[in-house]
Amino acid sequence: MRKLKEAWELVRDFRDGVEDPVEHAYKVLEAIERWEGRVNAFISLESPELVVEEAERVAKSIKSGERVGRLAGLIVSVKDNICTSFLPTTAGSRMLDPYIPPYNATVVERILAEDGIVVGKTNLDEFAMGSTTELSAFGPTRNPWDLERVPGGSSGGSAASLAYGGSDLSLGSDTGGSARLPAAYTATVGLKPTYGLVSRYGLIPYGNSLEQISPMARSVRDVALLLDVIGGWDPLDATSLKVDRPSTFTVEAADPRRVTLCIVRELVEGAEEAIEKAFWALIKRLESEGVELVEERLPVASRALPAYYTIAFAEAASNLARYDGVLYPMKGRSGSWEEHVGEARVRGFGREVKKRILMGVYALSEGYRDEYYIAATKIRRVVRDEMLKLTRRCIVASQASPILPPRLGERLDDPLKLYAMDVYTVIANLAGIPALVQPVGFHDGLPIGVQWMAGPLEEGKLVSLGLLVEELTGLRGVVAG
Amino acid sequence: MKAIIGLEIHVQISEAGSKLFCNCKADYRGMPPNTNVCPVCLGLPGALPVVSRRSVELALTAALALKCKVPKFIVFTRKHYFYPDLPKNYQISMFERAGGVPICRDGVVEYLDPSTWEWKSCRIRRINIEEDPGRTVYEEGGVTRSPYALVDYNRSGVPLLEIVTEPDIESPRDARLLVEYLLLTLEYLGVTNPRLEGVFRVDANISLEGGERVEVKNIGSTLDVERALSYELLRQRKIREAGGVVERETRHWDPARGVTLPLRHKEFEEEYLYFPDPDLPPVAITEEMVESALKVVRSRDLKLLIEEILKLGVQRDHAWSLVSTKPALELYRRVVELGGEPQLAARIIAVDLKGELKELGRDIHNPLNWPPAETIVELVKLVVGNVYPYDTIKGLVIPKLASNPQAKLEEVLPERATGVEAVVEEVLREEVKAVRDYLQGKTQALNYLVGSVIRRIGKKAVDPRVIRELLEKRLRELAGS
Repeated sequence: MRKLKEAWELVRDFRDGVEDPVEHAYKVLEAIERWEGRVNAFISLESPELVVEEAERVAKSIKSGERVGRLAGLIVSVKDNICTSFLPTTAGSRMLDPYIPPYNATVVERILAEDGIVVGKTNLDEFAMGSTTELSAFGPTRNPWDLERVPGGSSGGSAASLAYGGSDLSLGSDTGGSARLPAAYTATVGLKPTYGLVSRYGLIPYGNSLEQISPMARSVRDVALLLDVIGGWDPLDATSLKVDRPSTFTVEAADPRRVTLCIVRELVEGAEEAIEKAFWALIKRLESEGVELVEERLPVASRALPAYYTIAFAEAASNLARYDGVLYPMKGRSGSWEEHVGEARVRGFGREVKKRILMGVYALSEGYRDEYYIAATKIRRVVRDEMLKLTRRCIVASQASPILPPRLGERLDDPLKLYAMDVYTVIANLAGIPALVQPVGFHDGLPIGVQWMAGPLEEGKLVSLGLLVEELTGLRGVVAG
Repeated sequence: MKAIIGLEIHVQISEAGSKLFCNCKADYRGMPPNTNVCPVCLGLPGALPVVSRRSVELALTAALALKCKVPKFIVFTRKHYFYPDLPKNYQISMFERAGGVPICRDGVVEYLDPSTWEWKSCRIRRINIEEDPGRTVYEEGGVTRSPYALVDYNRSGVPLLEIVTEPDIESPRDARLLVEYLLLTLEYLGVTNPRLEGVFRVDANISLEGGERVEVKNIGSTLDVERALSYELLRQRKIREAGGVVERETRHWDPARGVTLPLRHKEFEEEYLYFPDPDLPPVAITEEMVESALKVVRSRDLKLLIEEILKLGVQRDHAWSLVSTKPALELYRRVVELGGEPQLAARIIAVDLKGELKELGRDIHNPLNWPPAETIVELVKLVVGNVYPYDTIKGLVIPKLASNPQAKLEEVLPERATGVEAVVEEVLREEVKAVRDYLQGKTQALNYLVGSVIRRIGKKAVDPRVIRELLEKRLRELAGS
């Protein structure tokens, strides 16, 4: 299995003069050159000259003994629903093609301040609505581990860029599993932080109350590094928590004898056989290392998925009202304002987006609001209460996906199947708690992931357990090909 | 047939400094189009609203002054409708259902009819804090004929109070008085400057007892409140008297033509898809906030101020004249504080000075156009101490102070007449006929003689009473000799 140095090791080696940031930049650009035509992980790329120039700047700073940032020389890809003032930001939609925001998202500012180099903007399902990255106006992204298969979604471009070595770190976003599902499908790591730990300022919203910008990488330590850089209070986001910047990077691998895992039946059953096998193999291994296992139930789990989609669609319908072809003009223009807006929304949005807007409007309408939206928020409260109770005493173990990465087109025809891919991941979004997905093994060359959930602001615990698991599986830094 | 009127008054919190959710300015007047904007108030994708503390504090002050029930926390809701100058196609507002919590429920506005000195009251249903939309500007023939519209977002996001009354108002005149009094109240509380262009708008619901209600929109001045409602009342009366039925509809006030015109029939409740804005967590209204707002209310409540002045023995019409012009009242209170005699000070400020300023076309609401309190105190003392007669101050000094408020008192005070006795002797010598008339019992000749003395003294200060006494004394001597 091909492996790359972890990102944090690279920074260390750049600083020690063992590795050259410029050479590294060329290596990443070569990987993009070699893979991108087949994978389509990026919607837009920074010019290679600029990337090399940035790497040279970092190299020069290091040589002259200047202080460099924590991401010095690392190549970072950014999901294309996160605003950048230097590259277009489309959210995967024709509606925003072309749109260059006048500002950077807070997370992008923080990455730049730590000398990270943004190489490009990654593909996604339109407005992050999807679980396969097939629903982008810029064509589907393919899974580098098997080009006939999807990389998961909606942060599929980010995951794919990591899986073939097209970036060292990546920013995804996770509304109902959008960073974790792709991580599971590409043998990478995705961490959905506690709601409010990472600023959403500059994240084009899909489901505001559910989503977080999420660090993605090829190892747990790398995800921790990126989380530490992007996390912490931001005055520009009223939902961001007034907490210090996280410090998870220095956390050590957990002592198995001090870990308690909750095995929640509803969150481990119902997956394909190969996935269940890989999951239980890891759990048994952990148990043999001294981890305590507790069996638990979560009866409300079956209602989580419909509650999640109801809330997400309602918020989406509202968020997407602003795209009317006026401030973000579509090519062509027709007649009166009403006609213009109508045509912009007909032509600018894809089918899935329109479907979700319609369902969201329905859920919020007078006479239906109580039955749908309000009811969903009540279920959400129960899910949150239950998960807070559970995570007070243990880390919750869960599958990441019920299925292996599907083939392109396989899931698209049946929306219920498509939505069911998120059955294990939406829990963390409804509860606002952190969740980590990391590789646990492969089946027929296809990656399988596992998910851990902890209490609010317990990202450190997840990193600690993740490091332990990496020691057992040896799965860190792996890339396809 | 009794009229039933309820008002919906939108007042900008123009004194908040910033817009409701960003740092752009609350007062946008005089700025070139689209220069008072940022990603937040343009509703750009990914930008997030953060509530301005000042706006909430001022809204709270208004709510407490209007004796509202104030909640422990407020919740903003999104109100969706498509409109060209509403950049997100939803307005961040408040709503009493669907999870929203307005800043005020169940208040009351007490207002004064200054001509009868009758206090009236009207219940307030609720007060919302919300953002103002941008402005659509039509060229070439207005909304109906212009081939295009221009949108200016300078106003977008300016904090507004939406004050909704119960239908307790019985006449168009009362409606005007209420709005005038309310605006004055808000001015005293430091919430708004009622004289800024477009700072408030009024929509009114009006019906005749037993008839459908009609909503009249687009009323932009207090005079138009009375005009529009009088017109509408007359229109409805005529329909009813002719045996017709008033239809439930929305009508538009055309101030140029002085008529209301049909806008649309209101057959359905509008569908606004209200739900709590997920970007804005509930804002706590703490006891400290209430306490400091109450402090403001107690020191600047209009009714208390009026009562305070009346207690000083000031005439009602003078009192109203003072309070209806804030700089006048502030000047007056300072004068009294410095020891000026209250009743005379009230007359000088509220009648004489204010009249002269108006005569000169000065802005009476600009404190800089008023002389300093020390000057007025001196004037009052001169009159009370019989140094100068009131008529001299009124006729000779006030006009000079009005045109030059910073003038030093010694510059504007007329020279005190000396040698009045000599002039009296001169008059007695020369006005032979008048003297003879007086001595023959035509006592009114004395007035003529007083006038003659004053004419001869010219533009110097002299008290007519002193002249009269002198003349009478000398005439008695003449009669006795």
